[in-house]
Amino acid sequence: MRGKCGLFFTSYARESQILHTGFQKSSMALFFLVLLLAPFFLSSYQVSLLCMINIAVIGAVSLNLLTGSCGQISLGHGAFIGVGAYATGICTLSGWPFLPALLIGGATTALVGMIFGIPSLRLKGIYLAIATLAAQLILVYIFLRWTSLTGGATGMGLDPPIILGYSFDTDQKMFYLTLVFSILAVLMVKNILRTKSGRAFVAIRDFHLSAESVGINLFRYKLQAFGVSSFLAGIAGGLWAHYTMYITPEQFEIGLSIQYLAMIIIGGLGSVIGSVFGAIFLTLLPEVLGVLANIMSGFFPNISTYFLAMRDGIFGLILVLFLIFEPDGLARRWQLAKSYFKLHPFAH
Amino acid sequence: MKRLFQLISVVLAMFFFIGTAQAQIKIGILSDLSGGTADVGRPYAEGIKDCVKYINDQGGINGQKIEIMQIDYAYNVQQAISAYNRLKSWGMVALQGWGTADTEALVRQVARDEIPTYSASYSAHLTDPGEAPYNFFIAADYSTQLRGAMDYFYKTWDQDRAPRIAFVYPNHPYGLAPIPAGKEYALELGFEIVGEENVGLGDMDATTQLLRLSRQQPDYVWVGGTISSTAVILKDAQRLNMDATFVTNIWGSDEQLLSLAGPAVNGHIGLQTAVIYGADVPGMEIIKELTGGKPQMTHYIRGFASMYVMAEAIRIAIEKGELNGPGIRDASRTLRDFDPMGLTPPISFFPDDHRPNMSVKLYRLHQDGMELLTTETLERRAEWLGK
Repeated sequence: MRGKCGLFFTSYARESQILHTGFQKSSMALFFLVLLLAPFFLSSYQVSLLCMINIAVIGAVSLNLLTGSCGQISLGHGAFIGVGAYATGICTLSGWPFLPALLIGGATTALVGMIFGIPSLRLKGIYLAIATLAAQLILVYIFLRWTSLTGGATGMGLDPPIILGYSFDTDQKMFYLTLVFSILAVLMVKNILRTKSGRAFVAIRDFHLSAESVGINLFRYKLQAFGVSSFLAGIAGGLWAHYTMYITPEQFEIGLSIQYLAMIIIGGLGSVIGSVFGAIFLTLLPEVLGVLANIMSGFFPNISTYFLAMRDGIFGLILVLFLIFEPDGLARRWQLAKSYFKLHPFAH
Repeated sequence: MKRLFQLISVVLAMFFFIGTAQAQIKIGILSDLSGGTADVGRPYAEGIKDCVKYINDQGGINGQKIEIMQIDYAYNVQQAISAYNRLKSWGMVALQGWGTADTEALVRQVARDEIPTYSASYSAHLTDPGEAPYNFFIAADYSTQLRGAMDYFYKTWDQDRAPRIAFVYPNHPYGLAPIPAGKEYALELGFEIVGEENVGLGDMDATTQLLRLSRQQPDYVWVGGTISSTAVILKDAQRLNMDATFVTNIWGSDEQLLSLAGPAVNGHIGLQTAVIYGADVPGMEIIKELTGGKPQMTHYIRGFASMYVMAEAIRIAIEKGELNGPGIRDASRTLRDFDPMGLTPPISFFPDDHRPNMSVKLYRLHQDGMELLTTETLERRAEWLGK
């Protein structure tokens, strides 16, 4: 690209590269270097936030593949994460090593997701949203009532992940484990979007009739989207289960599904990097609001009480403001910021 | 340069001085001040904080002041876990937790990090040290409360036939927890179980469920919900002229219920494990002074007692020179019939049994107030541990 003015491509292969320029590659390398060294400088609280972000990233990119890229609204993502958590937990409790258990957890969730994805052939938009809402309710009911398998109301206690005899029993160690899986998940989704399947997903989202008339098998690709998305949700669930070491049906209720939907809306529907931003944003938002409330209570005693009560309201307000002023989410803001610096001081 | 060096050493010395002078006992408080259980979470947290204030005003525990850090987690598991990690980084030695959601999600983590946790989630499985070695609470567990109430009803039953009992509860971990134990004990005592219905925590109507129940003519109906669903159930029962006695569990009856359900509460029974505001016990004088005579809900008193019992365990741990997680846990386990100034029945914990006591207080509900009927104490049966 050197010696040329601007960024242009002469082949499709070059265009679909993830990182184009040397600057992008080196800044990405620097980012990961900082991330890998971060646990040595941060407190265990901050590292635990990074762990939760990693897990949220997996959940968000997987939902974004289904909802953002393929256009199939899912209100059952929280329960799918729960299926992964319980399936992985049941496997490790019956003596399986962690990695195969995690894969089984993912596969089970993929199967469950595909079963609940079957109505998507007939249902679209709000109707599909209600069908997946039903999945959410049914699955949580099963977690609660299938006591012999899930522990029911009592929940299920688990141990930290052990891989080849090495136990990931601190936040630091968990950070590296979850980071590996979140990088794999992001790469997987990014790569799927660059393949025939990915283009089929986008075509289905944009207009299902046109997609069908150019020869895309709607049923197959919709099911595939449900399957892949649920598989990753299951992985997120398995990691979550072994990170918290205790799962109860309460953790996977409708609130979790809404939270993941909010992540991809705030991040930017259909954008992989957007889901990452959304996951970071929504994981840190309550923490930042809590810290703000603490600081403010230094000046105005008792304000934290009112501020805390407003927290859900603030969350809703942020969501509405994003929908009105930045429907393309944080991903678009990121693009704007990048092009500002690229073009500064002169636009070519 | 020399002055700079002096300045730095003075600053360092000050920090060191402050660091040693403020050797405080750090206790984390995980509260729900803004989430789904905030209406009862706030008074409970106030009770904890007022107890800390009381202890610090008395000169602390063996001269060491308690320092608290309170975090609101809005009854959200993710936020509870990050709040817990924040408290851990801050250096807490013990945790005052709150509800089912956070306490259960943290069971394994507090065990790994050796942080004794006193919570307000009274699920029976938390009393088994094999499952939850660092979890404590100061009220009889939900199952024991239900068994205690049934024991009382059976003893006071004066008709020839067997008493009939029905269970109404939400399809929720908290509502489901005591049901298997309750059914088992009902059969053991000789009750006839005549019905079982689900009323959700947020339901605004229970007529269908109660119509079905009233056909079975139960004498006693267990209501295992929270305040709002209990108010709905009691009002609907009054409308349907059911003459059963409804028994509400610990989070289902408090001073709010009396104003929400009004005359519909009259004659029914509420279970509690602490006294109510204004009771004639030594601790009430202190609470009245702290609150300026403003009546508090019974949750406040349990919060106060929870912190008071924890402070006693910490005192024992300090005397043994073991102010750390395992030290406080072991000290908690040496408590034998410890009386938290009469606020709750006496508390004992054992190394293999974290049931604080087997006592439940039955209050007769009336729209003008609650009246203590009896304190029922069961035997400490080994097979009930954790069930």
